[in-house]
Amino acid sequence: MKSILTYALSAGIALVVLSMAVNADRYRLPGDQRGYEPDQPIAFSHRLHAGELGVDCQYCHSGAERSRHAGIPAVSTCLNCHKFIKDTWGAVQAEDKAAAEEKRAPKPVESTEIAKLLKGEPIVWNQVHKLPDFAYFDHRPHVAAGVACQKCHGPVETMEKVRQVESLSMGWCVNCHRDVNEEGVAGKPVHASTDCTTCHY
Amino acid sequence: MNPYRKSPGGLDPSDVDEPDGGPDGIDRRDFLKAAGFTALAASAVGCERIPTPKAAPFLIAPEELVPGRALRYASVCSGCEAGCGALVKAVDGRPIKMEGLPEHPLSRGGLCAMGQATLLGLYDSHRLQAPTIGGETADWAAVDAAVKPRLAGGKVRILTRSLVSPTARALAEGLVGSLADARLVVYDPLSCSAIPEAHERTHGARVLPRYRFDKARVVVGFGADFLGTWISPVEHAAGYSVGRRLDENAVWHAQFESTASLTGSNADERRRIAPGEVGLKLSQLAGKIAARAGATFDAPAGGDDLDPIVERLWNARGKSLVVCGDRDVEAQVLVNFINQHLGNYGETLDVASPSFQKQGDDRALEELRRELDAGEVDLLVVAGVNPVYDRALPVEKAGYVVCVAQRADETTALAHLICAESNEFESWADAEPAAGIVGIRQPAMNPRGRTRSLIEILSAWRGEAKTSLELVKERWKDAFPWAEAVERGFAEVKRDPVAVKEFDGSGVKPIAAGPEGFALVGYAKVGLGDGRHAYNPWLQELPDPVSKATWDNYACLSVATAARLGVTEGDVVRVEAGGAAVELPAMVQPGQHDDVVAVAIGYGQRSTERFADVGPQWFERNPTLGPDGLIGADVGPLLPPGLLVAADAKVTKTGRRRDLASTQTHHNIAVPEHLAPPGGAVRPCVLETTLQQYREDPASGVEKAHLPDPDLFPPDHPYEGRKWAMAIDLTRCTGCSACVVACQAENNVPVVGRDEVQRRREMHWMRIDRYYRGEGDEVTTSHQPMLCQHCENAPCESVCPVLATVHTEEGLNAQAYNRCVGTRYCANNCPYKVRRFNWFDYPHDDPVENLVLNPNVTVRSRGVMEKCTFCVQRIQEETIQAKKEGKLPADGVIKTACQQSCPTQAIVFGDGNDPESAVSKALADPRRYYALEELNVRPSVGYLTLVRDRAPDGGEGSSHG
Repeated sequence: MKSILTYALSAGIALVVLSMAVNADRYRLPGDQRGYEPDQPIAFSHRLHAGELGVDCQYCHSGAERSRHAGIPAVSTCLNCHKFIKDTWGAVQAEDKAAAEEKRAPKPVESTEIAKLLKGEPIVWNQVHKLPDFAYFDHRPHVAAGVACQKCHGPVETMEKVRQVESLSMGWCVNCHRDVNEEGVAGKPVHASTDCTTCHY
Repeated sequence: MNPYRKSPGGLDPSDVDEPDGGPDGIDRRDFLKAAGFTALAASAVGCERIPTPKAAPFLIAPEELVPGRALRYASVCSGCEAGCGALVKAVDGRPIKMEGLPEHPLSRGGLCAMGQATLLGLYDSHRLQAPTIGGETADWAAVDAAVKPRLAGGKVRILTRSLVSPTARALAEGLVGSLADARLVVYDPLSCSAIPEAHERTHGARVLPRYRFDKARVVVGFGADFLGTWISPVEHAAGYSVGRRLDENAVWHAQFESTASLTGSNADERRRIAPGEVGLKLSQLAGKIAARAGATFDAPAGGDDLDPIVERLWNARGKSLVVCGDRDVEAQVLVNFINQHLGNYGETLDVASPSFQKQGDDRALEELRRELDAGEVDLLVVAGVNPVYDRALPVEKAGYVVCVAQRADETTALAHLICAESNEFESWADAEPAAGIVGIRQPAMNPRGRTRSLIEILSAWRGEAKTSLELVKERWKDAFPWAEAVERGFAEVKRDPVAVKEFDGSGVKPIAAGPEGFALVGYAKVGLGDGRHAYNPWLQELPDPVSKATWDNYACLSVATAARLGVTEGDVVRVEAGGAAVELPAMVQPGQHDDVVAVAIGYGQRSTERFADVGPQWFERNPTLGPDGLIGADVGPLLPPGLLVAADAKVTKTGRRRDLASTQTHHNIAVPEHLAPPGGAVRPCVLETTLQQYREDPASGVEKAHLPDPDLFPPDHPYEGRKWAMAIDLTRCTGCSACVVACQAENNVPVVGRDEVQRRREMHWMRIDRYYRGEGDEVTTSHQPMLCQHCENAPCESVCPVLATVHTEEGLNAQAYNRCVGTRYCANNCPYKVRRFNWFDYPHDDPVENLVLNPNVTVRSRGVMEKCTFCVQRIQEETIQAKKEGKLPADGVIKTACQQSCPTQAIVFGDGNDPESAVSKALADPRRYYALEELNVRPSVGYLTLVRDRAPDGGEGSSHG
């Protein structure tokens, strides 16, 4: 009996090691959501807006300074620009060129993605960064202390589709809180509490 | 076999080879190994994504709304007609908390338990969502079409409760005036109609005076529970607390009552009288006052026991106040006579700017009852009252009944047409609780159903359908700057003083003693009041401040009467009076009069059927509902119409039992004799002293016998920054329990139901402990708010095996729910018994009701411990906001939920390290002591002794021995 069990256990260990080796990139502890990169209802590119065009993070996520939640911008915020900008510069030029060739007035162009903003319905996004209900994160003190958005969210300005980069685990939070107490943030000394009640209440 | 494994070094080969497991021969170790690998394998390959939620931002963001940030709207409370100022705290468009409006001239920042609990009424999924005609859902056009012709012809009677809203009053009167034969009848289930009627006789004006407890230095109450349920409890308590500051203006308060009320428990002198004796006592008092004032009054003999009270009243002429809760006009005329000769009119009684909080007219109600009995009424409109339950009127005799109601009740069951009324949080309104003080109530959300508010309904029937905003704004836009008043929540307008005539004492005559014998007294319970909020689980589970019982009404008997009848607590007794009977569990209530059985009104309502499934649904649960499928029993049939006292009551034992769901089972502050240590006859929880002793030595009541021993260890927690502390002044605390509901609403405390309360598993983080001092029925009652004391040497922390409860650098005793594994050692080791264990996942199945949950506080799951956090979410919020500007919040900016709503401002919270903070100053008071100080747990909550103005009671009260 014992020998069968030993074989079974050895096979089990081998299977586990093998599966860990094969899935090394996917392997993570339960609750670790790194790499999560869901499709969104609009193919919104942070690389274009935040990276190439250099729109400030808080232009859209204005809650970060004022509230717990950074917030997802209302459609009305998008339309501040997209009332006028209906498609890429390339598409506009192509239409102009086509119109000139066909000797007609250029038609208004509108990308299918931007058209989704004008349907008069709220956009239902997939939340990427999600903390458990028993953890209370507040953007305000982090923004006020000068912590860069990328510190937690990764290089969003390079992402076509937003991906979770950091583990957002408690150990990861606490490590940073401990480090900044020693090193400060952006050259300023800060006091980042590691009390339980900082996040749990 | 050896039950223990040896260490590997001394492993016995025979022990290893021999399997000790089950039939398969897999021993425990192998099983654990296999299980461990399986779990590891599962975790390695089974890492599926946690389903992440969707997030839908606004289409067009409202300018003032930041997701996650709370907004506060100044408003008016609608829990009763007292018209207290309220702040509605709303997050993401949903109100989550009702608080007091600090600037309000009447309520001064307080808000009672009932007022705060009205928020749950907004999220009541049983509310009517659309009007119905003959039981069929209809639209408003059909309602108007059905009602308008009936208004035009025939005899129309509109029945409402006191219309504290001037707009509603004007609309109702305007509608009535425009009809051929119509009348507006106002009644209050807790009627005060005798007071205006008495003033009509003595002052020539039908007014309810505004009682200025803030100006009174001597208060004598006759059965008026003015701190608990009478007319405007928050306003009264706020005023009363002015005299509880122990300065030269200290108030002296005597209470005559037959039941054990909250007000009586706060009195400096309390006397038990039979309900029939009120008139006699008042007559004797009137005679003695008249003799001093040189007036003539043919007083009945006796009453020499009143002399000390007369002396105090007379010495405080113009600064005294006599109030009476009796419904007898003659008695109220006597009260007016007494107050007149004490010179109190214009001082402590304001008749020039009277109160509009009770407008009921019992004579008009009687007339309507006669008309209904004669079958004369063609259309009866019932708005906001439940006359069928109240037994006020034979509603079924009206030709056509229209009900304006938020919920189905006994009256809507008889109605031909039901107008679904908007909740108070869904519509604009105004309130003028006292002449010249106008509150503006703003809606906090749009109506959930197809509902209209009362003023919208009335204006539609007058043929000019307008929204509630238009109606209220139109009424006041010329009287004061509208926008400013909306922002402040109230405005003051100039009103012509009510013209009163010279005092006419011609009709004042003495009252003889009423019938002797055993009487039934119906009383209103703090929290439930007249029973209009019986649907509200927060209020049903709120322990009565005096009896400490939840969820039921019961037959209160004095200690002596219970002994005479052979009844113990929980025995079901049959109470008979007025040709009807009701069976209720008995409650032994020390301090009640011996010839009285007291039963709370407002119970046994149809709206309480909903509590069939309240609390956790487990296999050993017992129902919360009583034997007849309702909460409590209706005592109405036993009482004469319009009265709360029935003579010739009879109480008999049935032999059955129904244990009460009480949150406190030890009542007397004295330690049982056989358990008392030498010198420890009285538990040093509530420390009391007398005003005289206090003036001689401000520290007189403070426990000195057991000063804490010096610490063995050096202080290694210096608390360099802030250190949170709280001071609770027991002299100012009335025990009204507003803080209990405030805490429940703020901290998502679940309702557990009657059975769980009986199992001592109520979840309130804050409780009001009540102690009796004395023997038998001659007891003094004291109240003590009890919450987590955030001890520096916290006994809970040292026993937690997983460090789920630890101290923070700001002196908070933190509880990390996600770390807690539920050993309950901490609760076991807590000397204050303030920790609460989640035995269940308490139901959060009602998606509408869940909207009341505070998003900044975790909803705890099964198996974790929880307790008061000093509202750490509020500390964090204010600190984060202030830190953005590089500073810390100023003293007083952070208010705990209990502190915010306290009508008497008995609770002070703040930074104990800041010598200038209010809490440091309060804790420096010589009256300060700590509960169970001898344990040396060093609590952060300090209590200030309870000072009563009475003769010292021989040392038994204030300290050991």
